[in-house]
Amino acid sequence: MSKTVLITDDTAFMRMTLRNVIEKNGYSVVGEAGDGEEAVALYKELQPDLVTMDITMPKMDGITAIKEIMKIDSDAKIIVCSAMGQKPMVIEALSAGAKDFLVKPFDAERVVESLRKFGS
Amino acid sequence: MEELFVNMGQINSLKVGGILTTVGLGSCIGITLYDNSVKVGVMGHIFLPKSRASDKNALPGKYADTGIIAMIKEAENLGALKSRLEAKLAGGANLFSNLSLNGTSIGEQNAHAVIAELEHFGIPIIGKDVGGSYGRKMRFYIESGIVAVTAVGKEAIEI
Amino acid sequence: MQEAKLDFLKELANIGTGHATTALSQMLSGKLFQLVVPEARLLHFEEAARFVESLEQVVVGIFIVVSGDVKGHMAFLLPVDSAMVLVRLLTGDDSGEVNDMALSALQEIGNIMITSYLNALSKMTDLLMAPSVPGVAVDMAGAIWQSVLAGAQVINEVTLIRTEFYADGESIEGNIIFLPDEDDFKKIAVLLGLGEG
Repeated sequence: MSKTVLITDDTAFMRMTLRNVIEKNGYSVVGEAGDGEEAVALYKELQPDLVTMDITMPKMDGITAIKEIMKIDSDAKIIVCSAMGQKPMVIEALSAGAKDFLVKPFDAERVVESLRKFGS
Repeated sequence: MEELFVNMGQINSLKVGGILTTVGLGSCIGITLYDNSVKVGVMGHIFLPKSRASDKNALPGKYADTGIIAMIKEAENLGALKSRLEAKLAGGANLFSNLSLNGTSIGEQNAHAVIAELEHFGIPIIGKDVGGSYGRKMRFYIESGIVAVTAVGKEAIEI
Repeated sequence: MQEAKLDFLKELANIGTGHATTALSQMLSGKLFQLVVPEARLLHFEEAARFVESLEQVVVGIFIVVSGDVKGHMAFLLPVDSAMVLVRLLTGDDSGEVNDMALSALQEIGNIMITSYLNALSKMTDLLMAPSVPGVAVDMAGAIWQSVLAGAQVINEVTLIRTEFYADGESIEGNIIFLPDEDDFKKIAVLLGLGEG
């Protein structure tokens, strides 16, 4: 059984791009969230093995979503995928519990590398 | 036929003939005032609702609270009577509508401010195309008083 | 002093846009982009209003509010034809239709380019410059530009920094515009040793 992934990004285009990369590499995308609030709700419902998380989103931003998901499951494997790569943001995300921080635009290889590293 | 453009914050007027045009109505409000008896037309392009002390040398037409009174004066200078003036409005849109706002958009605020000013001066609004999330162009034909509003991908309308 | 300030802004724009176009180039698998040297100008309201020349040309506009240590606004403007070339290169959709996926791709392009620009400036100055979720519109250039100025609360004077870019072999052109809030711009100047701005 392949590992399950929940994708979170506020643009449909990026969710589609990530889905293609992830599925091509043997993972199963079980859900897509368009904002942090949806991500938290879907995490509870689907309990995915891995989560990709954007930062700048409407309704609830990625940092808050990371904190909320970590409260639900302290073992959650969240990988940040965001254009916002400034140091304070990276530190905040990792302190909140994210396992990795990928700055957009990223190579497909980089995403897969991160999934493999934290998906086991 | 003379066509005069009205840019952001400007006010222009014509008598008897010609066209007054303004392009680039996003959140801005384009206003026309017309006295049909003497065929005097004034057009303004309002940018924000309220003037402020930090912008003392602004063109009066930039703000609703200074612009409408300036437009009325200009109409009167050309022989119009305030009691005969009728107004038409276009604009006040929110183009970046996918951004969630705290409170009302600038376009809505402009519309409210302009409507309130016109009410204050007792000038009826006889045509209006405001709101939405698209930009507009407004053309005011002085000979007839007709105002045409166009937008990308939409049929031209008369207001 | 104004000269030095504008030169400094041009340098910022150089760096920022360099990163932005590198980011875009990466998204498009390395197609080369060329920059026209950035310009920085201090404009009065009426000049800023006239900045966009072809008022009725249909353009794609992406608008971002910048917050944090440096506040301001950014806009990314490109003619719709150029935008649809980018959409085709990114999504493979060559219909030329400005549908939801096309708008989504454009929003993401704008987001990545503008954020890369801010990331570069942030790294240089150690100041946080956080972008908002982008606003996207496809409309007449005049209406979009006017909405950007109103959104950025440009009342009398504005410092406008812009860089034009175009792609080698494809007819893509665009403008990245940075409108920093005056006071926060001074912070950057001081930090980079340009005195009080």
